Amino acid sequence: MILLLAVVAGLLAGSVRAWRGGRRLAAPNLRLVWLVPVAFLPQWLAFYLPATRKLIPDDLAAAVLVGSQTLLLIFAWFNRDQPGFWALGLGLVLNLLVIILNGGLMPISPGTVARVAPDAPPDAWQMGRRLGTGKDIVLPVTAMQLWWLSDRFLLPPWFPYRVAFSLGDVLIAVGAFWLLWTIGDKADDGDQAWDKHDDTLPQGQSVIQRRTKQTGNRSGG
Amino acid sequence: MKRYIRNLGLMLGQLDQRYVRLGLVVLTLILFVLGSGAPEDGSGGGG
Repeated sequence: MILLLAVVAGLLAGSVRAWRGGRRLAAPNLRLVWLVPVAFLPQWLAFYLPATRKLIPDDLAAAVLVGSQTLLLIFAWFNRDQPGFWALGLGLVLNLLVIILNGGLMPISPGTVARVAPDAPPDAWQMGRRLGTGKDIVLPVTAMQLWWLSDRFLLPPWFPYRVAFSLGDVLIAVGAFWLLWTIGDKADDGDQAWDKHDDTLPQGQSVIQRRTKQTGNRSGG
Repeated sequence: MKRYIRNLGLMLGQLDQRYVRLGLVVLTLILFVLGSGAPEDGSGGGG
C-alpha cells in the first residue's frame, strides 16, 4: 500500500507539474515492459490470489519471490537510464539481498509484528515461519542477516494504516515518485520528433498546430 | 472541412495513444513496486 501511495502521489505531482508548465504528461519509453507482468504473475499466484496462495508451500513461495524479483531487477537494469530507476533498482537490490540471505523471504522481527498487528492472537504467527501468506518470515533480530534491511520501519501512529516496510521499500517509493514527477517536465516523444523537423515554431505550440503547418507547407510546396 | 476532420482524427488518435502509453507505464510501475516490495497489509503482506 505504501508503494501504491507513492505511485498515486507521483502521478498527481507530475500532473500538477505538467499543468503548471503548460505541458502534457509524457510517457517514458521503457524497455522490456513485458518482463514486468511475466515476473509479477508468479508472485500474484503465490502471495496475492487467495485461491492459490494457501496452496503454495513456503519453500516454493520463497523461490517464486527470489526468481520474480531477479526478473524485475533485469527490467530495472535495462531501464537504468530512465529517471528514478537508480532508486527503484537500488531498493530492489537491497530487498533482494536481504531476502536471499534470510532464506528467500523478507525477515521481520516479532517486535515489529506485534506493533503492526497488536490485536493478533498469539498463535497467529510462529518464530522462523512465514507470516501468514505474505512475503515475510518472522525471525529474531539476532538471527537475521542484514537486519537493518529487514521490514523494520513503521508508519506514524496517526496514519490510518499499519504496515512494516524496509529501507529498500523507501528507495522504491522514492524512485516511483521521481519517475512520475519527471514525466511532468518533458515533452512527449511526438513533440520531440516534430521539434526536430520544425525549429522555427514558437514554444508551446501544439503538435496539431505544428502538423497542420507542416501539412500546409507540404501541400503548398 | 476535410482538413478539420483530418486534424480532429489526428488529435483523437494522438490523445488515445498518449493515454494508452501513460496508462501502460503506470500499470507497469504498479506491478513493479508490488513485486519489488510493497507490503499489502499488516497481517500477511510484507517484503
